Amino acid sequence: MDRLTIERIGGFAGFGGSRLKSRGEVSLSDLAPADRDAVERLLADLPGSAAAQGGAAPRTGAADAFSYRLTVQSPDGPKTVEAPEHLVPSAVRDSVRDTLD
Amino acid sequence: MTYSCCLVPRDVLARLSSDPSLSATSRKAFLDTIQISHEMRDLRVQATRMTSVAFAHATALTALALAPSVTIYDCKGTQSLPGTPVPNPGKAADPAAKRVFGTTSEVAEFFAKVFGRNSIDGEGMTLMSSVHFGQRYNNAMWNGLQMIYGDGDGQIFVDFTAGTDVIAHELTHGVTQHSLQLDYSDEPGGLNESMSDCFGSMFRQWKLKQDVTQADWLIGADILGPAAKAKGFTCLRDMADPAGRHCLSPQPTLYAQVRPGMDPHAASGPPNLAFCTAAKTLGGKSWDQVGQIWYAALTGWGARPKTGMKDFAARTRQLAQTMYPGAPPVAAAVDAGWRKVGL
Ligand SMILES: [Zn+2]
Repeated sequence: MDRLTIERIGGFAGFGGSRLKSRGEVSLSDLAPADRDAVERLLADLPGSAAAQGGAAPRTGAADAFSYRLTVQSPDGPKTVEAPEHLVPSAVRDSVRDTLD
Repeated sequence: MTYSCCLVPRDVLARLSSDPSLSATSRKAFLDTIQISHEMRDLRVQATRMTSVAFAHATALTALALAPSVTIYDCKGTQSLPGTPVPNPGKAADPAAKRVFGTTSEVAEFFAKVFGRNSIDGEGMTLMSSVHFGQRYNNAMWNGLQMIYGDGDGQIFVDFTAGTDVIAHELTHGVTQHSLQLDYSDEPGGLNESMSDCFGSMFRQWKLKQDVTQADWLIGADILGPAAKAKGFTCLRDMADPAGRHCLSPQPTLYAQVRPGMDPHAASGPPNLAFCTAAKTLGGKSWDQVGQIWYAALTGWGARPKTGMKDFAARTRQLAQTMYPGAPPVAAAVDAGWRKVGL
């Protein structure tokens, strides 16, 4: 439940396709309390419901922004949510490394 | 005695001015009239020139007044927007700021001259861009209000401002937001991305004065870094060959391969190929006819956020007929484009 795996997807280049990846990993316990709270709020939400968080969705018409696919292991199996970049704490965003597969 | 210089032909006046049956005073009067007539004609010529010059200058002045302002900000490696204003960006010491200012101004000129559009919103909206966003940031984007450019990591990508097609791509997202207002998921998302690639590529071709055979139809060729090039990649996407091995982000080529939830940067493959095929089938400059049809479909249809690829194909086929009724090859080329991708 402590390990958070992160995949950055989208952007102008279309990360997350077959050849271009952006992945990272952090321990929730290593995050600052405020960042851990932010991640846990995202994980508590259903996928795609970030837009419901007080108007925090990207602006209408926005394009090419990154999203983050956040996954934790739970007793029921892996749980994954997708969140727009501006909702993801910088400590989590900065954990990813872009690679060519 | 008065004479109308405009009603009496010059040869009649000349004959009268030398008619010995007339008095010397009258002959002199006819001679003066010829002279006045000549001066009047010169005046008319001058007036015509004056009007023409004044009109040309007035048009230029109006165009200048309508050209949008271009502003550049520097995020200095942070993700705080918009960042610090760059004064006089056209002469900035920072190459990224100077480049974005120059290319953004040229994209505005492209939309104005080729499509008669004044800026993103058609009403002269200021074109605002931030450079040096984030650290080694491998992205460029449009956030609904402005363009944002990262420096790239120097390995997979270089500075995203290095791609003229990248800059035009981002600006076109703004145009889409202020016209068809396509959603950013599923088929409308793929079309949204395709609009940006089509106009991004057209701008690059227009700037390089290329016809459809000279164009490389690549997207992102100028922003690939050494690590990507070393692996044989030459572009992010290829509008002429979306699934090519040389593409860092290969795409499907057929409409039937587009799936719900697919990244719009993948789903844009079939409409990209349709546009490229139509333009290459017709020949000449991509922006002359096929580009005009795509622009009319994007901007002349009101807001239709849910437009799917079939709807868009039908719209461009219809526009090809109505915009170029005397040129059947145009409609045939558009039809060939969509048929190529199974639509
Ligand atoms: Zn885009």
